[in-house]
Amino acid sequence: MSIVGTDRPRIDADDKLRGATRYLGDLKPHGLLHGRLVLAMDAHATINRVIKDAALAIPGVVAVLTAEDLPTAMEGPMRQFEPLARGEIVFQGQPVALVLAETEAAAEDGVEAVIVETTSHAAVLDLEAAIKPDSPLARIRQIGGEMEGSAAMHVEAAGEGEGAPAPAAAAAEPVSANAKGPHRQQHGDATAALAGSEAVVKGTFRTSWVHQTYMEPQGALAIPEVDGSVTIHSSTQGAFYVRGMVAKLYGVDVSTVRVVGAPLGGAFGGKFNLIDPLVMGAALAVGRPVKLQLTRSEDFASGMPASACILELELGGTKATGLTAFRSRILLDQGAYGDWAMDGAVPVMIGGPYRWSAWDSLSYGVTTNRFGTGAYRGPGGPQVVFALEQLVDELANKLGVDPLELRLKSAAVEGDTGVDGDPWAPVAGREVIERTMQHPLYKKRGSLPANEGIGVAAGVWMGARFPSAATCRVDQDGGITVVTGAVDMSGTNTSFAAIAADTFGVPIESVRISYADTATAPHAPPSGGSGVTYSVGQSIRLAVEDAKEQLLDFASDQMDVAASDLEVVDGMVRPVGSPDRGKSVAHFAEQVTGFVATAPPIEGRGRFAPGNPSPSVACHVAHVRIDPATGEVETLDYAVIQDVGKALNPGLVRGQLQGGAVQSIGWALYEELQHDEYGQLLTGSFMQYAVPRADRVPNVDVDYIEVPSAIGPFGAKGIAEAAVMAGTGAMANAVAAAVGSRIRELPMTSPRVWRAANSR
Amino acid sequence: MIPAQFAYRRATSVADAVAALADPDAKVIAGGHSLVPMMKLRLARPGTLIDIGGLPLRGIADGAEIVVGSLTSHADLAQAAAFAAAGLQAVAECAAAVGDVQVRNAGTIGGSVAHGDPASDAPAGLIAADARIRVAGAAGEREIAVDAFFQGPFWTALGEQELVSAIVFPKPAAGSASAYESIEDPASGYPLVGAAALVTVAGGRVTAVRIGVTGVSGTPFRATNAEAATLAGAPVADAARLDITGQDVFGDTRFDEEYRRHIAAVVIGRAVERAIARAQGGSQ
Repeated sequence: MSIVGTDRPRIDADDKLRGATRYLGDLKPHGLLHGRLVLAMDAHATINRVIKDAALAIPGVVAVLTAEDLPTAMEGPMRQFEPLARGEIVFQGQPVALVLAETEAAAEDGVEAVIVETTSHAAVLDLEAAIKPDSPLARIRQIGGEMEGSAAMHVEAAGEGEGAPAPAAAAAEPVSANAKGPHRQQHGDATAALAGSEAVVKGTFRTSWVHQTYMEPQGALAIPEVDGSVTIHSSTQGAFYVRGMVAKLYGVDVSTVRVVGAPLGGAFGGKFNLIDPLVMGAALAVGRPVKLQLTRSEDFASGMPASACILELELGGTKATGLTAFRSRILLDQGAYGDWAMDGAVPVMIGGPYRWSAWDSLSYGVTTNRFGTGAYRGPGGPQVVFALEQLVDELANKLGVDPLELRLKSAAVEGDTGVDGDPWAPVAGREVIERTMQHPLYKKRGSLPANEGIGVAAGVWMGARFPSAATCRVDQDGGITVVTGAVDMSGTNTSFAAIAADTFGVPIESVRISYADTATAPHAPPSGGSGVTYSVGQSIRLAVEDAKEQLLDFASDQMDVAASDLEVVDGMVRPVGSPDRGKSVAHFAEQVTGFVATAPPIEGRGRFAPGNPSPSVACHVAHVRIDPATGEVETLDYAVIQDVGKALNPGLVRGQLQGGAVQSIGWALYEELQHDEYGQLLTGSFMQYAVPRADRVPNVDVDYIEVPSAIGPFGAKGIAEAAVMAGTGAMANAVAAAVGSRIRELPMTSPRVWRAANSR
Repeated sequence: MIPAQFAYRRATSVADAVAALADPDAKVIAGGHSLVPMMKLRLARPGTLIDIGGLPLRGIADGAEIVVGSLTSHADLAQAAAFAAAGLQAVAECAAAVGDVQVRNAGTIGGSVAHGDPASDAPAGLIAADARIRVAGAAGEREIAVDAFFQGPFWTALGEQELVSAIVFPKPAAGSASAYESIEDPASGYPLVGAAALVTVAGGRVTAVRIGVTGVSGTPFRATNAEAATLAGAPVADAARLDITGQDVFGDTRFDEEYRRHIAAVVIGRAVERAIARAQGGSQ
């Protein structure tokens, strides 16, 4: 009986429904100090003095910490290495001091009493102005050191290969120290190829800063142990990642830091080591457990959202062969900290799932006085798709071909040269586009009432290729326990259980997935980059196979049947062809675990490095209606067509893909973190920051296809991020169809749509 | 998100609550859905909260007039049949437009009105219905006409030592109907503009009209020019623009002034049209 491929509830659903899940906020160790942040009021300033006296006089306040109080051992140009502002404030909302108190209320009172004296500097906010050679600098004191780990992780997942160094000619544009780059990808003669195309389209597009808006705000708890080590409980996607980064920051051995991943209340890429460095430093400084969990307002003010960009794009094509060449220049705001900036990857991503004959694609990362760049589901994707997929539609229109027909002709296939110069891995763009052509929602687009429109777009996510390991032991009762250090995100543990059950041949009820912390778990990558099921899932399958082999070897001796003639079915070890001669797994397990056992216990080990990606392609189809009098947009219907490789749990796949559609609608119509001209955040709560609530989300039809990966477990591909790689394009094309003109700025709010509809 | 310290006492009667308001640092709390969010942000920091939630001020009395106790929830208002029967559909529709189910169940009409938030839904309906706000003070009860009640952002005619005890809705003439239209901020759910219109139609002509507008500017207001033009038979779309042109309107980087001015006129026009259609026995 196969478990893989069947709908099953998440294994953590019951606890969550009953409120039994213990999140970070539920942890209250003895002696706990509550932290609250003093946030910067200025967007850019020098700190002259932090006056702590009044705060320290408040009953219950134990300490007020500033950067000098944290026992850091190094500095670097990353937010993770600067948990509190060091002398210079680089964005409004930046943590300047941490008040520690016996109660949260006392800490909050303390925050009000701390005085931060500053000298203000010009806030650098405008991307085009910021890269001009004479621009003021967003960061007066430049901090040396390379980005590490973080940004590289997603850049790699997004598909950039070795990162071609920019040719000298690309540096011709003089830029200020706010600009990082150019990052450039070039192939062939783009200018000649565009000139030789039957049609050329171009445009400049702007996107907004968008917050991940996970339900549970960021938080972490650090507990100093008597042996000098520190235990960190964290709402993080990557426990091993946190361990490595905080150990580096404080100059301690990784073995003295134990990181326990708490159940995630949503993350979407945004939860990587934001609070951990601060609570660790605070716990070291005061010698007591310290917890900080942001409020929603603090998370809006000081989190790490997805960044805005300006994209200039020009592309060409011909009726017979499809897309030909493109030229792009992208300015990617990375804010004050580029921890997860995608400036190195967007010149590749802007090429989409297509084959091109020539390109010249460059980008700059731009330092400004806004937040810092975090990762958010398919980082860089919603931004580039908004530009690329609108222009592909315009080009199809100009060439007089069906928009999907043009995409089908142009879809990259295995072996085509990618924009990063590497050959494409096996990719099912054609299959997905062909399936989309048959979707009833797409077929409806020719027969709509006035003010309605249907738009389509395609996108791809390459997927992370993190190496991983896992173990599997056979328990006394014949069940199996899989041990993983991967944090359960969006139901990955539920998929692991199915993989283990089918691989071993035991009922799903006999499988236990045990999350272990960094002290005890086999190494696991962060849960991100759409790489968890792809890599850890395969490690688990290998560990279970190994355990099963060990069991069959032992059973072979006991039963006097060659191991190759034994199978495990439904928890029974039996000779092939003689099911009635079977003995339970428990029967053998007892003999290797009991007091008088003479054979060693069974413990399987799995290690895996995927090596190559298995990109997932998705098409989105959106149906909208606009009210031309008010510019309001209603999303009436939506479809997601995606190649998932193999749906290990169709219910979870549908959920993931529907979630991708909802977040795409958010990017497209509502979400925007805005600052005024002084860098003051104007949208610091859900009163100003709009997300697509349930009443603004239509039916989302999911129509996935399964073109198996040769690498992922059971053929599975990483699917989570491909699910947001087409949405902004589909929505923009739908709105354009309804309005009759194009909007080149995200989000497509009602005032913008009203102006477009009335040419104002 | 943690309020500053405050004292709490439960009022035993209206007179007791009024007496407690002698303390200038005291504030009345009912459903708490306007006050508590401000306290959590420490934008409001009353020294004492006087909880009037237990006082007998809840309920809707349908007689010659409709008298709504100040502790009546938005949900109760939204569901009360008395308003539609009297042609005051707009009052119930304003209540139905407030927040979400939880907010409508806990938030009260009296609290909302006393708070004076210029972006709340309720004032539009009250203005269109020509309601009176009954307030209790040290000298007993008095009534304030709605046209004189809203004075500015979070500023009303309510005295320092007074609390809202009821809202009184006179019943309009036969042949009347009303409607509330709004465009919500997709973030907060508050109206970017909300307009309630109450019309009386006789012999195929509009013989009386009142229009209340909220969300657009610092004070909810009555669109008197649009009323006059409508009575004079001007096309609704033209009439709807009259009060907005000279009006100081809110504008921000998300929803600018020009856009708000435009949609205010659209929404006023839609409210008037729907009210007329209802009065003529047409569709909703």
